[in-house]
Amino acid sequence: MPAPVALSLVDVRVRYGDRFAVDGVSLDVRRGEIVGLLGPNGSGKSTTLAVAAGVLDAAEGTVTVEGISRLVDPAGFAMRVGFVPQECALYDELTATDNLTFFGKLYGLAGADLRRRVLRVLGRVRLADHAEQRVSTFSGGMKQRLNLAVALIHDPGLLLLDEPTAALDPASRDALFADLTRLRDDGHAVLLSTHHLDEAELGCDRVAVLDRGKLVACGSPNELLRCRSTDRQVLYGHLRVRPPKFLQKALQKRFGTRIEFEITGRRLRLSAPTNEDLGMALATILAEGIELETYRTPAGTLERTMRDSGSVAATHGGADQP
Amino acid sequence: MTSHANLTLTLAAKDWRLFWADRRAALLCFIVPIVLASAFGMIFNRPTPDATATKLPILVVIEDDGPFTAQVAADLLTSPKLDAKASTQSEAEAALPKRRPTIAVVLPKGFEKLRDWQPSGGGDRPTVRILHHPTASMERQWAEGVVTEIVMRRLARSKFGGFVGADEAAFATPFQVDATAVSAGTSAKFNSYSHSFCGMTLQYLLFWGMESGLLFLRERQRGVWKRTRAAPVPLGCVLAGKTLSTAAIALLQVFVTFGFGYFVFGVQVTGSFTGFVLLALAACGLAAATGLLVAAIGGTEARARSVSILVILGISMIGGLWLPTFLLPEWVRDTALSLPTSWAMRGLGGVTWEGLGLRAVLPNVAMVTAFAVVFLAIAVLRLKSDERRLRQGNV
Repeated sequence: MPAPVALSLVDVRVRYGDRFAVDGVSLDVRRGEIVGLLGPNGSGKSTTLAVAAGVLDAAEGTVTVEGISRLVDPAGFAMRVGFVPQECALYDELTATDNLTFFGKLYGLAGADLRRRVLRVLGRVRLADHAEQRVSTFSGGMKQRLNLAVALIHDPGLLLLDEPTAALDPASRDALFADLTRLRDDGHAVLLSTHHLDEAELGCDRVAVLDRGKLVACGSPNELLRCRSTDRQVLYGHLRVRPPKFLQKALQKRFGTRIEFEITGRRLRLSAPTNEDLGMALATILAEGIELETYRTPAGTLERTMRDSGSVAATHGGADQP
Repeated sequence: MTSHANLTLTLAAKDWRLFWADRRAALLCFIVPIVLASAFGMIFNRPTPDATATKLPILVVIEDDGPFTAQVAADLLTSPKLDAKASTQSEAEAALPKRRPTIAVVLPKGFEKLRDWQPSGGGDRPTVRILHHPTASMERQWAEGVVTEIVMRRLARSKFGGFVGADEAAFATPFQVDATAVSAGTSAKFNSYSHSFCGMTLQYLLFWGMESGLLFLRERQRGVWKRTRAAPVPLGCVLAGKTLSTAAIALLQVFVTFGFGYFVFGVQVTGSFTGFVLLALAACGLAAATGLLVAAIGGTEARARSVSILVILGISMIGGLWLPTFLLPEWVRDTALSLPTSWAMRGLGGVTWEGLGLRAVLPNVAMVTAFAVVFLAIAVLRLKSDERRLRQGNV
């Protein structure tokens, strides 16, 4: 028997002026699964999450969380959703405990129950030792973990995360995905947005691909890959330091059209027709003194799916890194 | 489910904690109005009628060497109303531009002819020259009055001294002066510190309101605002919490500023204490409402800050928060009636140095409250409309 549906979007449309930012999206997210919303900038990911979080009203369609519509029971709807906005949604001037206590009180928690929950979520995101530290002293990864903890304080069934890895280094990103995996295993439903193909592929149970507000594909990464086999080898890396522009241009010129070489912030994407080409390109990059913190070569890739939907150019062309 | 009152208190408590999180900035909120009020109070401080009369500093230039002139000069130099020193014309001309002092009286050659003056006689009259700094027109009139009194007394003595003898009392002014300050209160005694502490407190309440509004604007551009909107919190509670926290900190400002004024400069509530409390509460409400208004119509933070500073300084100046209104032109005083600052200032002045009762300041309380309610209503309507548009994607 399938797990109960935590979030149900049915034919949701959101209008920004004359255009639809979300155009007829229908999507179910069940308890015990992580669903990735994948798409380039402007594809409607954040808008879809905002509608699911109840901070934006859909012009058409229905949104229910565990069967409850915000229009019918706004408080009940809000109690079932934990929302992690893209920006760090914390008060830097307050301590981790103060932040959790404040947001917990907004959800009606108080007294011993609230104190117990604060300790529990701090432990869950491995911040118990920093409970009384001001958030302004936290690293980016710690802030993101606290950001997640705040969304968990009222123990919602559905977690919504808007680009949670945007400002994280690879280690913090892996730690965050480990946290999300544990939450999924505890029965939470997780819907997160990203425009990094490797994250969606490696960290999500299902992937929903959005393009210009429309849902163009949805399924497990393997299902999507079976539908469309890839013809290129891809490598994703995280650079220690972003190389200067002239060096990027020089490498692009040297690789020509055979090898796709793209750097966005400190993220690297290499794509080549064969593994040999990919290896040679990587060796060239390393020879130029560009250091990689981490890299991965997915067994398969959603590249083709994105390419087919017309999203891939915009994804890699977008300024998606701080 | 948490009651709306609890939610409001939770939001207000958060703002209170955020205010104290930066201790130095918080302390400046209290120190700056105290420093400015003290400075304004010192600048405009004048002795009370009970204190020793102020002497007008002048220089006396004696160009005639006749005995009558010498007597007049001696009277000027020993007058209890003047702090006079003998000087030469060139010394006086060098001292006046430096305002040390601002007045010089010249008894010119030919002044001695005045000894032969007859009440009905025509002919040439000697000229007494009064040199003065361009800004010292009031002092010039003061000096002219004292010189006239001394010359007329000396003339009377020279004309009629043979008849009544040398008794000084015989030449005293034939009337006495009884100067009484009249105001609506029974114990009015102008105190420049009372005025400056009322004025600067009100001005900085408005500045605090503005700062609170700017903080709200900043908060609405941060992720915490999205998170708050996603929580089961009605917008009304958010606005009520913001109003409550702003007003509570404003009340603390009033308490600290007036407390300092009381202990250091003797600023007292000589009129109705209830009236003072009501005015303070109304002014704090006005500060909170101003803050929400800034957040509602300010647009961007930079724009809101520039416009708010201009408006607050303008209504502070016209409303008599810097200078007592009796020093302002009549049209400014008339215009000020349309400003909340003027009503608040008159009310606070009334209960502090004018000694007015509760009934006398109730109209001021009502007007300040009415302004606060109108500001609050505009802000709430605007913010609710913004929230509706935001929810519908009309950003």
